[in-house]
Amino acid sequence: MPQLPSVPDILFAVSAVAVIGFSLAVVLARNPVRSTLLLILSFLPVSLIYILMQATFAGILQVMVYAGAIMMLFTFVIMMINPAPGGGELPGDATSGKTFGKGDLLWVVLLCGVGLIVIPPVQYAASRITAPLIASGGSPAHKEGFGTVESIAQLIFRDPANNPLTVSFELISILILVGVIAAVNFGRRTQKAAKAASPQATADETNAAGGNP
Amino acid sequence: MTFLTLSNALTVSLVLVLIGAFGVLRRRNLILVLLSVEIMLNGVNLSLISFNYFLWGASELGHYLYMLSIGVAAVEAAVGLAMVIVLFRNHRDVTRTRIARLGETSETEAGAGA
Repeated sequence: MPQLPSVPDILFAVSAVAVIGFSLAVVLARNPVRSTLLLILSFLPVSLIYILMQATFAGILQVMVYAGAIMMLFTFVIMMINPAPGGGELPGDATSGKTFGKGDLLWVVLLCGVGLIVIPPVQYAASRITAPLIASGGSPAHKEGFGTVESIAQLIFRDPANNPLTVSFELISILILVGVIAAVNFGRRTQKAAKAASPQATADETNAAGGNP
Repeated sequence: MTFLTLSNALTVSLVLVLIGAFGVLRRRNLILVLLSVEIMLNGVNLSLISFNYFLWGASELGHYLYMLSIGVAAVEAAVGLAMVIVLFRNHRDVTRTRIARLGETSETEAGAGA
């Protein structure tokens, strides 16, 4: 009698199908706003997979930071840029009226070929590596409180003077600071350029206005 | 039947990376290219978490790498979207194929002006 799949297995299978389906929809959707919202939707099953793998803190981060903060940034920028009143596609995108043309078919075949070459060896190697573990429940023995906030904090911040993870974790904040400075600098530079360009532009406009009549 | 295995998780993450690669290569809108990069990062994050769960139960190094990856993704989104906004302000367009020709148009304009 075949063994029935357990609840985590069913949840994992449903989530995996949902993630792949939503991600395909993100890539193929014509409307960028819809793409962004579909990507947020695709993060929820990923977070469920993380929680199934005892990575509760990672699952919470996936929803709060990824879906909540980063994707909100994307939605914000698309809403800011999108000039079509009906929430249509951005100018220049899908000029042929459809997002999936003949040129895309070639790339689909190419990437499917890459997948067919890469995925079976990976599956084989993974099943070979985990074969001894399958007998004992499919995963190695996890320590007490695996994946919780406290455990990860202990990993990163215990003995901070000698812990390389503490240093690299703090270095992320410097990376983010540099990114913020770069983003602000992009905005400032265009203001300067606009200031430098605007007197000339207004002069041209007045010349044109004076010359026309 | 067990679906929750390392090989299935790695297959999902590889498929996500391939879907993201298709988006990066084929979408013309720069914002959608950035979204496709997020899909690829998502696939890599899934592989990090699943390796940690299936092969290493003693500590959360994979979760730690996932947090690093989220930080990098946030910075990438911030800088990339700032660049997209600057491009849109200056050229009213965020299409990859047209922005790739910006140098040519400025040269021809300069030639026409001279």
